[in-house]
Amino acid sequence: MELNYLTVGELNNYIKGVLERDAFLNRVYLKGEISNFKNHTTGHFYFTLKDDTSRINAVMFASAARNIEFKPEDGMNVLVVGRISAYPVAGSYQIYVESMQPDGIGNLYIEFEKLKKKLEQKGLFRPEHKKRIPKYPSRIGVVTAPTGAAIKDIMSTIKRRFPSCEVILFPSLVQGASAAPNIVEQIKKADAFGLDTLIVGRGGGSIEDLWAFNEEIVANAIYECNTPVISAVGHEIDFTIADFVADLRAPTPTGAAEMAVPTVMDTLNIINQYKIRLNKNIKNMVNNKYIELRNLKQSYILKNPMAMYEVKMQKLDTLVEQNNRVITAIIDNKKIQLDKVKDAYILKNPLTIIDGCKKNYDVLLSTLKALNPLGILEKGYSVVKKENEIIKDIKKLKKDDELNIKFMKGEIKATVKEIIK
Amino acid sequence: MKSKSFEENLNELEAIVRELESGNVELDKAIEKYTEAMKLAKVCSDKITKATEQVNKILNEDNKLEEFKAE
Repeated sequence: MELNYLTVGELNNYIKGVLERDAFLNRVYLKGEISNFKNHTTGHFYFTLKDDTSRINAVMFASAARNIEFKPEDGMNVLVVGRISAYPVAGSYQIYVESMQPDGIGNLYIEFEKLKKKLEQKGLFRPEHKKRIPKYPSRIGVVTAPTGAAIKDIMSTIKRRFPSCEVILFPSLVQGASAAPNIVEQIKKADAFGLDTLIVGRGGGSIEDLWAFNEEIVANAIYECNTPVISAVGHEIDFTIADFVADLRAPTPTGAAEMAVPTVMDTLNIINQYKIRLNKNIKNMVNNKYIELRNLKQSYILKNPMAMYEVKMQKLDTLVEQNNRVITAIIDNKKIQLDKVKDAYILKNPLTIIDGCKKNYDVLLSTLKALNPLGILEKGYSVVKKENEIIKDIKKLKKDDELNIKFMKGEIKATVKEIIK
Repeated sequence: MKSKSFEENLNELEAIVRELESGNVELDKAIEKYTEAMKLAKVCSDKITKATEQVNKILNEDNKLEEFKAE
């Protein structure tokens, strides 16, 4: 009889395989107290997790250990997520920790307040960043878990109130270490989808359960989301960072659906109100025009069209009369002027004027005569010229100069015989 | 008119109501506007009463939309 003996290594490797094929052990949420903590130079953490009765070896590789946001030390209570496997060399099984955070609600509150303050200072909560939630959406997205009350409440509330609105679920983890990055990923997908509104949330739970909605990456994703976001996390009393950064905070998932859509009844009421106003307005307008028309019809002028004509006739008569009067006056005036001219003295006595002129002429003539240089010759004087120049002074003459002497009648030539002085 | 969203149609309806109520519209134009507004009102109410109920959808892992029933 041949028996098949295994080597130790073969056994340990077999056990390792069994552990690794187990779905439950692939992702374990574990809480415990840290002891024997060692931070190896390679960056890996080696420690033991224990409670009152048991212990388990734990290893956290540098790639995961880098992401830890606190300083682990012995005696600290922590929450870890990891997988269980064997370490064949030592024949022991251990937990390979993927993420670790301090246990204890106190720690979470401190973290919450710290992040809230930080984001507040960065301005993520400011009212001017809040987008308006569309009143009548046709397409709403929801980022939440595909199972559970939250999605059911949201979908049934929207269908009940406003069935024409389409609802698209972007399924996401909502608790555990992977929830936050998953929520961020789904918010980004939803934002690219052309939605009117996005609801992000989950149902109620402990502060640890809601923690993904207090993560900075989720807050940033909501802040950067171009689609208006309604947050709906937990119950009315639970406030998360997501609530502060969202464009609108709903107390519950059902509340978010109520804020996201109106009811058909309310909307029909609004439309009916518009119709009533329209009808009233157009009726008033037609009525007013009718009254205006009736008033016009009854006006004096339309009833007595001749009256308008009569007034004009009268005016024309007055004008013609006035015109005649003015023209007659002008003609009369001109006549008077003409008579005056006719009566003028000058026209009646032309000879007097001729007499006056003759007298004047005689005076002028005798004056002219008196002034005629030749007139003086009549009185016996003569004019002596030398080379046509009249001589008034003997200084201009010398002996033997030829002279012309003019008398009243006739002229002679003479020669100077002697200058007497 | 089909390309406009429900909200755009409703806003337009409201704008016409306000415009007519301002009293600055000629009668001919007002009747035209009134007819248009009544059409808009009908489009709006039809959209929310007569439209078949939208199916809930989920974005699956292949980034495709499929029908979703919340349980």
